[in-house]
Amino acid sequence: MSAAASPDVLFEIAWRFASLSLLAIGGINALLPEFHRVVVDVEHWMTSAEFADLFALAQLAPGPNAMVVSLFGWKVAGIAGAFVATLACCGPSSLVCYFAMRRFERMKEARAREIVQRALAPIAIGLVFASGYTLARAADRTEVALALTVIATAIIAWTRVNPVWVLAVAAAVGVAGLG
Amino acid sequence: MTEASPAAADSARPARTALFLAFLKMGLLGFGGVLPWARRVLVEERRWLTEREFAELLGLCQILPGPNVVNLSVILGARWHGPAGALLAMTGILFIPVFAVLLIATFYASVAHSSVAHNAIGAASAAAAGLIIGTAIRLLKGSRLPPRGLVVGAAVFVAVAIVQAPLLWVLAVAVPGAIALEWYWSR
Repeated sequence: MSAAASPDVLFEIAWRFASLSLLAIGGINALLPEFHRVVVDVEHWMTSAEFADLFALAQLAPGPNAMVVSLFGWKVAGIAGAFVATLACCGPSSLVCYFAMRRFERMKEARAREIVQRALAPIAIGLVFASGYTLARAADRTEVALALTVIATAIIAWTRVNPVWVLAVAAAVGVAGLG
Repeated sequence: MTEASPAAADSARPARTALFLAFLKMGLLGFGGVLPWARRVLVEERRWLTEREFAELLGLCQILPGPNVVNLSVILGARWHGPAGALLAMTGILFIPVFAVLLIATFYASVAHSSVAHNAIGAASAAAAGLIIGTAIRLLKGSRLPPRGLVVGAAVFVAVAIVQAPLLWVLAVAVPGAIALEWYWSR
């Protein structure tokens, strides 16, 4: 992390990330290869290993996983970098989302709106299953880890137990060296 | 000019403070992913959306650019309180949790190589994957999809998770396909 964030660097972060913002269809994770290309290969802001570490950290930390981009900015230019990166990455897409939805919700054809919404629900659910499955494939390297995934799935799907407890107990199982 | 207010369709219109606090909760508790928390807070705790409304909105968030849960905050904030609401919800889910993430990042370097932290993180990630799958099951149960919806959902899952086709391609086929199917059935 550089001590002083020069305006040049902040500007560079801003336009690099803002130009990716509108491409992030399906979320930031879909764009990770492109972020890797920009911050590691083109700008040389960090090594590939540092990139992977920040990604793992963002998955784990609270907040949207998109905050990996905030961490990229932080790595390059400290706190100012983190905020510029967050704004650049989420600002343009949020503006598009805001105006697109305003148009959509005011569409005269209520029936057309209904059809689009009903069509999108199963796609959304399929994608949530897919991301859960992909994460499980990556995390379940042992039988205990697989069991933790299955138990957590069942608890969330069929009980009202707070997810915080599920994660805390799982972490304790890991600390006990069972994972 | 009479304009059907989209908010009228919602079961509730939360006050600004409640809106902000709900999204702040999702942002700060979203270890391992915000989505399970978004569903839990919006559907179960506050009852601002039904399971089906949540799934439908999530679908819109996924086809729009930007992080899904950030889009969700923009859409719901704007629906209930206009531009100020969108900004409030975004601040709750994004701009405040950023501090928490930076704080964690500062300490992370000192513990990253301890095996205890490594084991805890590995086990918590396994459980976090379960939170997402469990959330998907809840959405599936609550949305009462017709058979054609089940087919579309299953096809998207197989394409993305098993075949590992690029997401953009899957959406480019699935979105128009599903809309055409739904339109055909509703004639």
